[in-house]
Amino acid sequence: MSRPLLEIEDLTIRYETDGGDLTAVSNASFSVDEGEFFGLAGESGSGKSTTAKAIIGGLDDNGWIDGGTIRYRGEEIQDFTDKELNEKLRWKEVSWIPQSSMNSLDPLQRVSEQALEIGRVHTDLSNEAIREKLKEMFDVVGLQQSRIDDYPHQFSGGMQQRAIIALALFLEPSLVIADEPTTALDVIMQDQIFKYLDRMKDDAEISLLLITHDISVIFESCDSVAIMHASQIAERGSTTAVHDNPRHPYAFMFKEAFPDIREPSRDLEVIEGYPPELIGEVSSCSFTDRCPWAVEECHQSAPPLEPVGDDDATHAASCFRSDEAYELYERYGATDPSAEVEAEQGGN
Amino acid sequence: MADDTPLLEIDDLEKHFEQSTNILDLLLRREPSKIQAVDGVSFTLETNDSIAVIGESGCGKTTLLLTLIGLHDITGGDVVYKGTPMSDFDDADWKEYRSNVQVIFQDPFNSLDPKMTVEESLKEPLKIHDVGNRDERVYQVLEDVELRPPEQYLHRKPMNLSGGEKQRVAIGRALVLEPDIILADEPVSMLDVSTQASVLRMLKDLIDDYDASMIYISHDLSTVSYISETVNVMYLGRIVESAPTEWILDDPKHPYSEALVSAIPIPDPHHDRARTEMSGAPRDPIDLGEGCRFRDRCPKVIPPDGIDVDQEAYREVMAFREALERDDLPLERIRKELDDPGDQEAFAAAIRGEYFSGEMTGENATTVDAALDDVADGDLDAAADRLRDRFESVCENTPLSVEAEADWHVACHQYYDHDRRTKEDHAITTD
Repeated sequence: MSRPLLEIEDLTIRYETDGGDLTAVSNASFSVDEGEFFGLAGESGSGKSTTAKAIIGGLDDNGWIDGGTIRYRGEEIQDFTDKELNEKLRWKEVSWIPQSSMNSLDPLQRVSEQALEIGRVHTDLSNEAIREKLKEMFDVVGLQQSRIDDYPHQFSGGMQQRAIIALALFLEPSLVIADEPTTALDVIMQDQIFKYLDRMKDDAEISLLLITHDISVIFESCDSVAIMHASQIAERGSTTAVHDNPRHPYAFMFKEAFPDIREPSRDLEVIEGYPPELIGEVSSCSFTDRCPWAVEECHQSAPPLEPVGDDDATHAASCFRSDEAYELYERYGATDPSAEVEAEQGGN
Repeated sequence: MADDTPLLEIDDLEKHFEQSTNILDLLLRREPSKIQAVDGVSFTLETNDSIAVIGESGCGKTTLLLTLIGLHDITGGDVVYKGTPMSDFDDADWKEYRSNVQVIFQDPFNSLDPKMTVEESLKEPLKIHDVGNRDERVYQVLEDVELRPPEQYLHRKPMNLSGGEKQRVAIGRALVLEPDIILADEPVSMLDVSTQASVLRMLKDLIDDYDASMIYISHDLSTVSYISETVNVMYLGRIVESAPTEWILDDPKHPYSEALVSAIPIPDPHHDRARTEMSGAPRDPIDLGEGCRFRDRCPKVIPPDGIDVDQEAYREVMAFREALERDDLPLERIRKELDDPGDQEAFAAAIRGEYFSGEMTGENATTVDAALDDVADGDLDAAADRLRDRFESVCENTPLSVEAEADWHVACHQYYDHDRRTKEDHAITTD
């Protein structure tokens, strides 16, 4: 697992809205290696789902890629037409697990019929071969093989989500993009599903791009992570590097906002304010207004995503104060002591 | 309160629904099956308590809440508010109860009227219950839920509020009547993580400030410790474990609580948590009958004395018996898949293949084989009897909720000494 499978470079995505052109993703860069589980984390509106949709050409009609490249196995795919995406990419190379399984299966078709349709469009496989592949995958996700001919309503919610996962995996794609695949499920069911994904990683060397707000799941199940805030990647790197040595204030505050049942009485971090709505060019750090350590520079230009220079070469943060912020946080909490001193001096 | 009367006593509360029936059921005079959504739940809420009810979707926690606010009729047991049972409530009692017991719903996006301003939403309960000083109260409650300055929020409509702000308004609306009891149904699960903690903290502080008590309902065990000192874990309509929150998180006693706690992700790449061993999902709460509701999935289901059986193999037998006795075996399908549908031996082997993975030996294997032959011959009752004779578990009796340790109640047969109880004692109690 070292060759990059998916490379996103300087990606910018905008949506046309009544208020002007909204920047949903701004200069985002990261790459997913073969056999790697990569987590893309952030809160609602951070641009994480938009990034994922752009990869498979699924942006809404008012959205477009306004800069940067998306490469799959070295080939630029951001300008692919629907036809090219269908022929070369969708389902057999890159598949998609959507958030709400309830609405993603056609209620009028048996699961096997939906698989046949996907197989006919994207492969040359015979019907019998497609059915066999789907059966195998049902076994992997813990559904009885004989149930491939059931209608979606014959499954419970958790089973439907597993049927979707079977559909996403049965053509043996190299990359699976999963958008909050377990958010609607209970923890035990979530854990069952990750058990199957782990198995797919070991057996079939799939790569996973996991989009979720739940950093616990990412720290536990992924090799690498990128944390997004209002269109920008705040920090990315291996999960251990980002966990042990975080540099961007949003990254470590976000991490500290999550409960950990090992420390049930630890104070949870609160990030004040809300992410800004970004119309037009983004010319500052999008976290500035919520950041206790923001300085003048942060308002004037967007900090580039730069390597932090530790053991992990992929570990990078986009913060002008990345070399001191975490230390200040650990020492003084979520306030900037130097800002308070300045304010006092200003008051005198 | 001056006397010892608890604020709210939930006493063996039961809410069963009748499944809808069709004309054929009517003609054949079939008994409609019962959905046992809430089935014998008891606990007591004292003044200034915050008690959580935790469980997966479908465990009955929301039905419990709707029953507590009187939106469902009670089908058994009772709810006693300050000494008066709900079953004896007259109109005045209901009016008082409804002003003193307020709800915060999960979804602030749908629980606020989109056409009402914040001020109108907050004044409505005051008008209904004819409370004076409305302007002052609304202003104060906005301050309390940290929507400051209140002038900035009074005239906004929900579409101009963020998710966190909406939920603060919903909390304000619940508090504006200064209730005794707040019922909160997953109040932060729709909010972003960065605001969850602040809303939870605020809610907990306000419960104290307003001298209220809370029943907090959630599927999320990981945030409960921030809001409730005590947790009740619910599974298929019943409370299986009840103890101080940190104890359950640290060392759950009931096998279901154990499964639930061990499936919670740990936000630490260095921590190597084993994935859950649990398979499947809870069954539908229909015609559940006697016994522990978790026994078909329980890794610790207790075999009878004197049979030497591997735990995993025993669990398989129990899952098979469960399907057999509920007439849930997919026999038709299994037969259809045979090369020769008339081959009885192959049929029995195929059923075995579907339910049993491990090897069993001796008398256990003989019994299972004979039962599979019975099933293949279509004599399900004989198979069920045969298996019951050998494998019947104490878990098929409803476990008492016993105090395993001080303040720690568990409804599981592991935690009491069966030699000192008679079978009748296993019936559900309400201690």
